[in-house]
Order: sequence, then C-alpha cells, then structure tokens
Amino acid sequence: MDHAQFRLVIPSQTRYLNLVTGLAKRAALVAGMDDAAAAKVSIAVDEAVTNIILHAYHGEGDHSVELELRFTSAALEIHILHSGQGLRQDQVVLPDPKEYIRHPRKGGLGLLLMSRFMDEVRFGQDSGSGRNECCLIKKIS
Amino acid sequence: MSDLSIEVQEVDGAAVLLPAGFINAHTVRDFEEAMEALVKAGRYTILLDCRHLTYISSAGLGAIMGLIETVREHGGDILLSNLQANVYAIFDTLGFTQLYRVFGDQAQALAAIQPQRQA
Repeated sequence: MDHAQFRLVIPSQTRYLNLVTGLAKRAALVAGMDDAAAAKVSIAVDEAVTNIILHAYHGEGDHSVELELRFTSAALEIHILHSGQGLRQDQVVLPDPKEYIRHPRKGGLGLLLMSRFMDEVRFGQDSGSGRNECCLIKKIS
Repeated sequence: MSDLSIEVQEVDGAAVLLPAGFINAHTVRDFEEAMEALVKAGRYTILLDCRHLTYISSAGLGAIMGLIETVREHGGDILLSNLQANVYAIFDTLGFTQLYRVFGDQAQALAAIQPQRQA
C-alpha cells in the first residue's frame, strides 16, 4: 500500500498530549524518519494540539481534536482538525528569536518550534467538514 | 507512571532540580511550582539537571523564561546540564543555548557556579 492514513480523536484535554506525541513519534519512525526527525515531529504535534486546546477551545475539555495521519512515499502529513476558534494563515506571526532572547517573556514559542521542525505548516479550513485545520508536513529525506 | 516527577537536591550548597519525564502543557504547572518554590526560598542560582528529562515543549521553556529575569536581578542564574539530544535541539533551535549556560554534566555546572556560591 503506497498511501495509508488513519485517524485518532481525543478530548480537548492536555492529559492526552503524551498519547498523541507518542503516536506522532512512532508514525514518523514508521514513515522512515530517524530518531531526531521523529522527535521534531512529536514536538510540533504537541505544540499544535496544545494551541488548539488552550487557545482555540480556551481550555474547555469537552470538545474534540481529530488527528489524521497520512503516509505518502515522500512525506508524513498530519492534519489536526477542530471546531474551536480558527487561526488563519495571515494571522500567524512568528516571534523573532533574537528579540525573544533580548526580552524574555512567556509564550509565543510554539508556532516557532512548529515552523522550524516541520517542512510545512498550514492553517485553514477543511473543505469537507468546514472545521478548522492545522496541517503539518514533514518530508522523508 | 506519572508524566513528570521532580526531585530537588542540595549539592555542594547549590539547588539542583531534576525533572524526570515530560514537561508539556499538562505537567508544566508542577515544574513551575518547583522552580517558584526555590526562588521564593531565596535560591536564585538553580541548576536544571536534565538527565532524566525526555521531552520539553514551549510550555516548559516559557516557565524557565518566566523566572530568568527574576533570578538574574538577584545575582543568580538558571543553568542547564545533561541535556538529551532532542531536548538540546529544542533549546538550540530557538537560540536559547545563547541565553542559558549549558554544561555537559552536573560537576561542570557546579564548578562554574562555585565562585557565585562562595561570594
């Protein structure tokens, strides 16, 4: 089978983060990535799901977050779907790390880690369900 | 097994904090409370020995960032040692290895802060 995909739906609660990051890491290894690349995929997924739980759902634990993992010959795609407050691509502002170091503060690093650790990060809406989506893509080198 | 356990040790007069497991948005409050307790007790030089830390997300980095100014204003610092490769990658990717002093092991870190503790 050249292409495979599967889905996992979790409640919007941070107690399940360890579950999804573990899954993401295993999926990256199965896709053919090495340990270092798999760890980066895992961290990016943690940041994306955390953002959805804390910001899109404002910490409310009675919603759901759906992860769809798509394996292709060239990449692992992780589509994270939710019905909370959406983030549009034009709203994404990455902090400048140098400025961050000059003026330490809390917050704002998750998106930066996602963008540094993945080959592509996209925000938008799923055309089929209308739900908001964060799409993370890591190429298999 | 819990996602995170935290041990605090006193080594040669220095406060050494050893987190074991994961620091993410679910566990970060425990980590923050342990750090804040040290600072409230006047321990402004803290060594984070990360030998058992397998993972830290931006939530954990934020917790460290939230205290770095306070400890430095009091003449202290937050130092890091024994970072596993993926944990080091997170700090390095964000340029935090320029902000914090990172040591290969605990002994090197303690030697570096010895003059501060004697002052």
